[in-house]
Amino acid sequence: MSEILLTVSHVSKTFPRIGRHGAGFAALARLLVAKPSAEGFHALTDIDFTVRRGESFALVGENGAGKSTLLKIIAGVLQPSSGSARRIGTVGALLELGAGFHPEYTGRENLKLSAALQGLTGAAFAAQLDSIIGFADIGEHIDAPIKTYSSGMVVRLGFALVTALKPDLLITDEVLAVGDESFQNKCITWMERYLADGGTLLLVSHSLYHVKKLTQRAVWLDHGAMRMVGTSADVSIAYQAFHEEKQAIEKQQTLSKDDHDASALGQYAVTDLRLDHVTMTGMSVRGRLKSRDGRRPQVAVGIVRRDGTPVYGTTSEIDGVALHDVGTGAFEFALTFSEWALLPGTYTLRAHAMDPEGMRVYDTVERNFTVLGDSREQGLVRLPHRWDA
Amino acid sequence: MTINPLLRALVEREVKNRFLGGVLSPVWWLAQPLLSLGVYALVFGLFMKAPVPAQYGDSYVAFLAVGLWPWLAFAESVTRGATSLIQQASLITKTALPRAFVPLSTVLVTFVLNWLALTVIVVLFAALGFQVHLSGILFSLPAWFALFFAALGFGWIVSTAQVLVRDIESMLGPLFMLLSFVCGIQYGVESIPAAYRDSVLANPFTHLIARMHDTYLAGAGASWLDAILLAGGALIALIGYAFFRRVAPHVDDYL
Repeated sequence: MSEILLTVSHVSKTFPRIGRHGAGFAALARLLVAKPSAEGFHALTDIDFTVRRGESFALVGENGAGKSTLLKIIAGVLQPSSGSARRIGTVGALLELGAGFHPEYTGRENLKLSAALQGLTGAAFAAQLDSIIGFADIGEHIDAPIKTYSSGMVVRLGFALVTALKPDLLITDEVLAVGDESFQNKCITWMERYLADGGTLLLVSHSLYHVKKLTQRAVWLDHGAMRMVGTSADVSIAYQAFHEEKQAIEKQQTLSKDDHDASALGQYAVTDLRLDHVTMTGMSVRGRLKSRDGRRPQVAVGIVRRDGTPVYGTTSEIDGVALHDVGTGAFEFALTFSEWALLPGTYTLRAHAMDPEGMRVYDTVERNFTVLGDSREQGLVRLPHRWDA
Repeated sequence: MTINPLLRALVEREVKNRFLGGVLSPVWWLAQPLLSLGVYALVFGLFMKAPVPAQYGDSYVAFLAVGLWPWLAFAESVTRGATSLIQQASLITKTALPRAFVPLSTVLVTFVLNWLALTVIVVLFAALGFQVHLSGILFSLPAWFALFFAALGFGWIVSTAQVLVRDIESMLGPLFMLLSFVCGIQYGVESIPAAYRDSVLANPFTHLIARMHDTYLAGAGASWLDAILLAGGALIALIGYAFFRRVAPHVDDYL
């Protein structure tokens, strides 16, 4: 195993509540004589993980989950309320747009202090200055005050500085999103080379594509606590499923509740539904329906993404299949999907009980399932394709 | 001696801050104390005819200048220091800058500029035939350092305290004005009624200012008093640093 670059052990952070008139002498006295009070907003609770050299790490989570606070603690900018973050080797941090830049000073003047802050000084800085300015590629603006810069130019300057530092651990918050396409590509290219050369990245990103592409492991922060830690692929799938589910719930809440034909409700029902052998290529489904009037019902089976996006649906009626009568108004079906080429992710299978005519839906039962894998392909299914030379 | 590159960068910024912006910025460091000097000279020298203590010669302006500049260096650096952390909030809450450097650079630059200004003035006075001693430029240094250390200590305290209690800076103005009248800058201690003189002499700043007068105006050499003043200044700096160390890591929560 490679050496540990970063140890985050039991880090918690509580922000005190501050009234409109500031903190006051009482808060000052508390800081002087005792530990800061535990009252306040708990931004982080018991965060604990390690990052090894060459093993890049991602932090994912919703807005306000504590990602930026955690990055600040890791970068040594913010003190945790308890616990510690120990770093070994050099650390470069791109925390916020223009962090540490003074708007009144020119790009060149700002680079000097920013470089010094990250440990690049004197002759070493002078030797790198030209390549930094070259990477930023903002032309004569380098000698204009930062306050005249566009946000993209500020990011260019910040990232250009990091390229000169080549730190052991590079910490980036979601700052790259600001740059234009070509600069983003330049940054991604640089990062890939940095990673290939043995660099280690600690990334906050809302782009799961970047998370999967640039990092090996990930932490999912939820309301300041660690909800999941694991490989980037696993965490991405779980995190995406969480979002899709959340959106589906929101969508469902806006739909009217009485989709069903209330008078006929209960006439036909799904009483059992089981999924087996879920793999990247297929799955088998078994189910049982109940028919109150003894007539043979139809079953509709559909697969949707967690957010409700339909993937595929069919019915026994469409396929011309009759459900197996097992007596006392119960009917069974068995269905096998093979070679379906679903991309990794979390899905929902829905079975609907329908009348014998296949006209109306009486009952719906859902089962969630996850297709495992670490593919970075996008979309729902892998379409058969080939690259022509 | 290698100066920490971060401190050097901060000091460079601080200097640039003073000289950029306003039309008068390049001369302000000299003009502002000169204006104060003019006001005091007018009120106390011309209108009230404050006597110059006999051992310090006969020029009221020289007497005033030698006491006023060190005092202004002290008062200005503590006042500027009070808001230094707040002014650099974007820097200290977003980068891993050693925070103690922020008030330090403010105090340092203020002192160097005021010391330079007084040195220029003293040389000028000597050229104009006032009764000043150029040896004072050397022998006043211990008192200057004592004052610097004290300012640094107070600067560290008020810079962090100001973040939590924003009224502190506005209290400093009147406080320093009062202090300036009771340490023998505008008039000799002899002019203060005997009943109050002891309490004025209990003020350490009175002795600091007296050392400035002795060295620049009376040609005094080194004194055992310098050691006491330096020790006192160093003690304040240490206390201030201890205060800063406790509070500064938490100021992000209140900035």
